[in-house]
Amino acid sequence: MSAEPQTASQVTPRRRSPWRERFREDWLVFSRNPLGRAGLVLLSVFGVMALLSFLPPLIDPMYHPMTGVDPQVLYSEGPSVRHWLGTDFMGRDILSQLLAGTRVAFMVGVSAAFMSIVLGVSIGMVAGYAGGVLDTLLMRLAEIIMVLPTLLVVLMLSALFGKLNIWTIVLLIALFRWPGVSRVIRAQTLSLKSRPFIDAARVAGASHARIVFRHIMPNVLPLAFLYMTFRVTAAIVIEAALAFLGFGDPSTVSWGMMLQWVWKTGHMFQAPYWLFPPGLCISLITLSFYLLGRAMDEVLDPRLREENGTV
Amino acid sequence: MDHPPQPATILELRGIGKQYRSKGRARQGGGQTVVALNNVTLDFRAGEIFGLVGESGSGKTTCGRLIVGLEKADQGELLLEGRSYGTLKGESLREYRRQVQIIFQDPYQSLNPQLSILDSVAEPLVTNRVGDNKERLEKVLTTLKAVGLSPPEDYAFRFPHQLSGGQRQRVAIARAMILGPKVLVADEPTSMLDASYSAQIFDILLEVRQRLATTIILITHSLAAARYLCDRIAVIYRGNLMETGPADAVISDPRHPYTQALIDATPKFGDCGPIKRYGTLVSPERPASGSAGCAFFRRCGLAHLGRCARQAPELTPLTLGHLVACHYASQTPVPETGQACRLGGM
Amino acid sequence: MALLEVENLSIGYRTKKGVLQAVDNVSFSVEAGRSLGLVGESGCGKTTIGMALMGLLPRNGRVTAGTMRLMGRDMLGLSREQWRELRWKEIAMIFQAAMNALNPVQRVDQQIAEAILTHNPGLSRGEAHSQVEGLYQLVGLPLERLRDYPHQYSGGMKQRAIIAMALACNPKIIVADEPTTALDVIVQDQILQETKALQKEFNIGIIFISHDISIVAEVCHHIAIMYAGQMVETGTTDEVFRDAKHPYTRALLGSFPALGGERRPLRPIPGEPPLLVGQLMGCRFCDRCPVHGKACKLEPPQRRRFSDTHFALCDHCD
Repeated sequence: MSAEPQTASQVTPRRRSPWRERFREDWLVFSRNPLGRAGLVLLSVFGVMALLSFLPPLIDPMYHPMTGVDPQVLYSEGPSVRHWLGTDFMGRDILSQLLAGTRVAFMVGVSAAFMSIVLGVSIGMVAGYAGGVLDTLLMRLAEIIMVLPTLLVVLMLSALFGKLNIWTIVLLIALFRWPGVSRVIRAQTLSLKSRPFIDAARVAGASHARIVFRHIMPNVLPLAFLYMTFRVTAAIVIEAALAFLGFGDPSTVSWGMMLQWVWKTGHMFQAPYWLFPPGLCISLITLSFYLLGRAMDEVLDPRLREENGTV
Repeated sequence: MDHPPQPATILELRGIGKQYRSKGRARQGGGQTVVALNNVTLDFRAGEIFGLVGESGSGKTTCGRLIVGLEKADQGELLLEGRSYGTLKGESLREYRRQVQIIFQDPYQSLNPQLSILDSVAEPLVTNRVGDNKERLEKVLTTLKAVGLSPPEDYAFRFPHQLSGGQRQRVAIARAMILGPKVLVADEPTSMLDASYSAQIFDILLEVRQRLATTIILITHSLAAARYLCDRIAVIYRGNLMETGPADAVISDPRHPYTQALIDATPKFGDCGPIKRYGTLVSPERPASGSAGCAFFRRCGLAHLGRCARQAPELTPLTLGHLVACHYASQTPVPETGQACRLGGM
Repeated sequence: MALLEVENLSIGYRTKKGVLQAVDNVSFSVEAGRSLGLVGESGCGKTTIGMALMGLLPRNGRVTAGTMRLMGRDMLGLSREQWRELRWKEIAMIFQAAMNALNPVQRVDQQIAEAILTHNPGLSRGEAHSQVEGLYQLVGLPLERLRDYPHQYSGGMKQRAIIAMALACNPKIIVADEPTTALDVIVQDQILQETKALQKEFNIGIIFISHDISIVAEVCHHIAIMYAGQMVETGTTDEVFRDAKHPYTRALLGSFPALGGERRPLRPIPGEPPLLVGQLMGCRFCDRCPVHGKACKLEPPQRRRFSDTHFALCDHCD
């Protein structure tokens, strides 16, 4: 709100993408937030670990997390130069398992969260915008799914259909985790729907699809991303629990799977070098996404407030 | 502010009625029918600025929303250049909506915060498939310039939150005008703005009319603003038209007691001609008279208990073009000429 | 002696971008039974002054210079406890968002009685309630609506209830911040007339804050025009309206449409007010001023005196 002659000289005609500019502004706020920084650092450590997971099998086939068995080791051994974190009961390298687990955690967490967000956002926007019978139906459905205990239902399903593929698990988590998101998005859509700029779009001739995707979606997406970070942690924890209980995908090495092996072979209290790394990793990755979400919340909140014109 | 004799009628409201059902439980006064508009008949002439004046809840905003198709009338017809809106479908409906645009009261709420100014202003072009990207940009820049946002390149790539209220309202005008509509509804365009901005907006509206011969329907609570901008005005109270006619006639010689009360209540300053006080309000209000009588009965000091409580007055011509809905309109009210000027805490 | 005296008051807000000079070197005084209108556009500092007078500045705001004296007593050095004593009893405020100033879950008479009891601990509940009844009659509210909840009141009734609350403890001064902005013209007019009558009856000093110069013109004896944190012109209502000196005052008067007299074209003020962050040189209105000279942008303008009451902050007015 500076005087006109000033703005004219400040902003020479330039066509920098407004989105990029906005992203830069948000990034500046975000990177100044200590929570966000901590989360980001932690998350990049895990990112590096996931990338490194491809290395060990290339060095020596015995470092393969699933099939690589050290011929010199017959039972679980503590850390050594050959195996930095030790080996499991049949001589597989724990470090390479841990790295592979990171990759799986990312895969499961991000894809399950992404799917549930896509579902939740679309259903929430449609229900909120359409209203009426459709809204009622969708929201009742959401409530029904919401009160089902995810873990229990997935356990029952896997008992029914035998061992589940990791992607099936991801899909199931997504299917059970959209209702919370959709309720929030629906509420947001309802409040946006009554804002004059939606009326303005209608008068400008915008179709319903255009109003939903062009006008409502960009306004709910920040919130959706925020929820995604929280959903990632939920997905990782559920997958770990499933695997620990013995209902995981037997062909993948996830952290939950590692914990199950510790438990099943009776090393729970004998081999801390085997128990702690996967346990710690689950806690830390959860923490890192949580921190990220909190920091995002702090960036978004004032901006949302400012854009709602209350400042 | 003169216009050619007998310009064509561009938009007509014929007997428009609209009711709402109030929300809430019946016990707390919900579920009742609230009349927003009652048998409103108006015609708007090509190229004029028409003022729809009333207090909050008078139905003036509903009227504007009906005209742009954001609401549907329960009774009556809306005609644009002789064609009824209710019968339009498909392409001709689209064509109608192109011709009738609106700017809203709150410039902080009427622009999508996530869209750049360019995207917001270009929206009508996109939805109506006008031109390609390059032409659209060109058009947006010239339109922004036309509403006084210059250089337009400075503003096109900003977001609403980077602009002041006055600038946002100009953007809203640019968006409404970009398709060159025949009718522009301006719903309290300045009530959220400071005086210096609202004068700017008034000037832009006058210029739009001058340059493009757009019919502007100004919805406002301020008689002073209506007097400044409008050729003709209509005063509306609880969904009923009370008085309509040339702006000068209605304001300098109001015949309806409600219009007189409005003029009494408007703060006057600066120009210190003789100030009249009509004093037409009664206090306290009378008990309700039932739905049959005059809408203004409860507050009217001139009302005759028998006739006004039972029979709603029709809008009848008093002089050419000056219509009043009052049984006693022809009995000239006697204004009290007060002090020369109501300046200062007297 | 003046009831309230404010001298060279400056108020700054700490913001992310630096200190925002919301109020700069402002002086005025209010006498008993008189009213002063603070007029200006949003962001000119008028509400900040009101908040400072009530000791209610937000956390990041601070009085950086100047004095405020209420009946000779310095207000700036008061402790929190002393402020609480002063507020409502000596100086009351009618807030901008009247609709939100009432507690929605408490009956209106209860709220007003509460305010009376807080400041007069000696009173019994019954006495407080009979005082509330007196106040209702005073502000023209029907007694049968005493036991209602705020949401059952119309906008005008809420505003009257707020005025009753402000009068509850017989304050010497009332700060009214846009008290009628959300109301319809007829109700606004009634409330303004009643406010004037009450002021006369109780000899209260009123500071009337508004963006609408026409309302202030009706109510106030004195007017102070604010622009960008500075008081650019002060005088009696008559002086300011008939013989405006500062170019901003003239421009402001010229940008309001009038109901009577000749229809004259409005003269909008071009441009936008300046940002108040950082060092501000020279006259703040300079960029939008039709009569500015070369030196205006560099040298701060001098306060010029036209009569005992009429001052303007401009080097080029005559």
